[in-house]
Amino acid sequence: MPAVCFYFQVHQPYRLKQYSFFNIGNDHNYSDERLNKEILNKVADKCYIPANKLMLELIKKFNKQFRISYSISGIALEQFEKYRPDVLESFIELARTGCVEFLGETYYHSLSYLYSKEEFVRQIQLHEKKIKHYFNQKPVVFRNTELIYNNDLADFIQKMGYKAILSEGVDNLLHGRTPNQIYTAPNNRKIKCLLKNYRLSDDIAFRFSNRDWPEYPLTAQKFASWLHDAHAADTINLFMDYETFGEHQWKETGIFEFMAHLPGEVLKNKDFSFKTVGEVADEYPIKDIYDAHATISWADSERDLSAWLSNSMQSESLSKLYALEEDVKSSGNKELMERWAKLQTSDIFYYMCTKYWSDGVVHKYFSPYNSPYDSYIYFINALADLEVEVNKHALATARVF
Amino acid sequence: MRKPRVLMLGWEFPPIINGGLGVACLGLCKALSQHVELSMIIPKSDPNYVVNNVELIGLNNVDVENLKKIRTSKYYKEFAHVTTVEANIFPYETAESDFDIIKGKSIDFRLDGNMNIFKVGDLYGDDVINKVIEYAKFCARIAMTREFDIIHCHDWMTFLAGIEIKALSGKPLVLHVHSLDYDRGGPDSRGWVYDIERWGMHYADAIIPVSRYTGSIAKNHYDVDERKIFPVHNGADPVHVFHDTKDFPEKLVLFLGRVTGQKGPEYFLDIASKVIEHAPNSRFVMAGTGDKLRGLIESGAYRQIGNKFHFTGFLNKEKVHKLLSIADVYVMPSVSEPFGLSALEAAQFGIPCVISKQSGVSEVLYGALKADFWDVDKMAGHIISLLQNDSLRESVVKDAFRDLENLTWEKAAEKVADVYKRIL
Repeated sequence: MPAVCFYFQVHQPYRLKQYSFFNIGNDHNYSDERLNKEILNKVADKCYIPANKLMLELIKKFNKQFRISYSISGIALEQFEKYRPDVLESFIELARTGCVEFLGETYYHSLSYLYSKEEFVRQIQLHEKKIKHYFNQKPVVFRNTELIYNNDLADFIQKMGYKAILSEGVDNLLHGRTPNQIYTAPNNRKIKCLLKNYRLSDDIAFRFSNRDWPEYPLTAQKFASWLHDAHAADTINLFMDYETFGEHQWKETGIFEFMAHLPGEVLKNKDFSFKTVGEVADEYPIKDIYDAHATISWADSERDLSAWLSNSMQSESLSKLYALEEDVKSSGNKELMERWAKLQTSDIFYYMCTKYWSDGVVHKYFSPYNSPYDSYIYFINALADLEVEVNKHALATARVF
Repeated sequence: MRKPRVLMLGWEFPPIINGGLGVACLGLCKALSQHVELSMIIPKSDPNYVVNNVELIGLNNVDVENLKKIRTSKYYKEFAHVTTVEANIFPYETAESDFDIIKGKSIDFRLDGNMNIFKVGDLYGDDVINKVIEYAKFCARIAMTREFDIIHCHDWMTFLAGIEIKALSGKPLVLHVHSLDYDRGGPDSRGWVYDIERWGMHYADAIIPVSRYTGSIAKNHYDVDERKIFPVHNGADPVHVFHDTKDFPEKLVLFLGRVTGQKGPEYFLDIASKVIEHAPNSRFVMAGTGDKLRGLIESGAYRQIGNKFHFTGFLNKEKVHKLLSIADVYVMPSVSEPFGLSALEAAQFGIPCVISKQSGVSEVLYGALKADFWDVDKMAGHIISLLQNDSLRESVVKDAFRDLENLTWEKAAEKVADVYKRIL
């Protein structure tokens, strides 16, 4: 009795302004507010509002049989509060249906797991509070930023009280096994790992409108038949960026019509159902071990950390950023803390990637800057400004003694 | 005795500025116009940009039809048989690019009135060879319509024109050497530009390099007879000096210039690493852009000094002065610098300078700390001393101000006028 498990990622970073050397010491506002607002409005109009409307309709139409999951970053929620409360309201409405589950993640969509467990936990707890506040749910399933995953993370998350965690289903870790079942970690047999079926997920998220794709055009009927072909599956995990609907795949491609017809086509087969991530975790047993010694992710073709850590600009930026943690926290200054935390968003380091080939094109599409070098310079200047202030505080408190 | 009439050929001239060439030409023109009757031909002039007592002729503004009637010389025909041109011809690349070997088509010396070549595009684009040749053609024809006593050319882009005009008119040719292929491409660099420089310098009656350093390169590297080499150092234009406070507590060490090999930017990075290690309360700024920029950004990150080593990209004059108003030390680690006007500007702002011995300006700036460009330890040591030792700072700055009193365009113009006297 297979389940189709949709999970949509909702995230918007605070993009940095073109912070120049001359701003250091006198400009403590690092975000490009005008740009962020502009982009949020654009994505809200093209994606969030119409997609949420569609999901709500589908939930009602199929009498709660259509069930989905979201993970929304804390800073995306902040920007909804600030610029688009109507989007927030539509998510709240979705939550009220009882058919929508919200996952846990780091509030700032950060790479903190790799640098500071303390900060990682702080951000998860902050995020949980926000999810509880708006959607009245306590997350039981976790996804790390960009599905960054390894065995230790699985163990760590389980010990925090989560029942399941999401990961990319990487071929060289699956060794020919199917992603359509629940796995666990070698070092912690309690945690349930839901692996993304990347082929089917990317058919929708990436290939949908590609006219050179042999399967173009992808109809709901065709896709449902592929799902039905996987009749031995426990769960078919379709994990993707929510912006697939209207932003990466424009309305004109027919993506909304596709999604509108999909639940009906899937449910034609009585064995199939839609489940949220938590429901999948509850329903199906662990069938095998997924051994991720090395850290993986769902980013780029390498599916590893190279999207954020493949050059010296990225590694220096991240290590210098987290080196400030102690001083930032001991300053006790909330505003400094928040500024420091906002600099942790993974997108900032994604923009610094200098990889070429097709992944470079993907990086460029997301980046608001002319070059990865520019993005590094803006970041490192902003960090210098933060450092100057943090040092001022440190000096001031030192004098007290 | 009436003033000599000088036909000057320039390439870069304000308001178009790329490096020091335009600035130097302007400074010299203004001062020289007191001594001679000066006309200057440049590829692009801005009709709103006027220099007193200097007739500026921009090829983008010239009437073509009249020029077409002028006869060509035998030299054209010889040169027209050149069918391939191989050259590293991009001396002032500002973007990352590879050096290409260019195979030119046979160069047709019919004057087809392609003045548009000077109206559009920049001075150093892909078609700089074409521009240089067209410039030579047009200058020659313009020269034939005028009376003059001396031809004075600035840098290789105009040498071909100068040679042409000397051949046609028989007037003496003076080549003002602000830079050489040796500086830009290194000692092993050869090609079209090197050939032009060499041919020009041999054909000329006098060479005016901007330093003894450059003069010695002309002699040793281009086999030019030293008896016709007359170094004249550049002057410093008066500038509005002001001082500002920094918004951060650290000391500021400044590098200003094109981020390209001859300016030694990698050495600046090495030096910065060393200084930051011993004097962590310092920040470094590299202002400028160039082909080495991206590599240096990554290098700086690799050395973990990115948060103290800042890149600003290309800065306009206003921003440059803002930097000069807050800098504590100026560093010029050039591998080969014919002069180095930016060091003088820093000195004018009262900033102590640490400069490479392989530079022209080190011959005239006694109020400065010097080291060989490769001597990272010594350069770093000088910077640290200046940052930590106030009395050293003060005396270096004081000495520099005294040097500046003699480094004027008036003095330079006088020397140039002397050179004219020798060859007339």
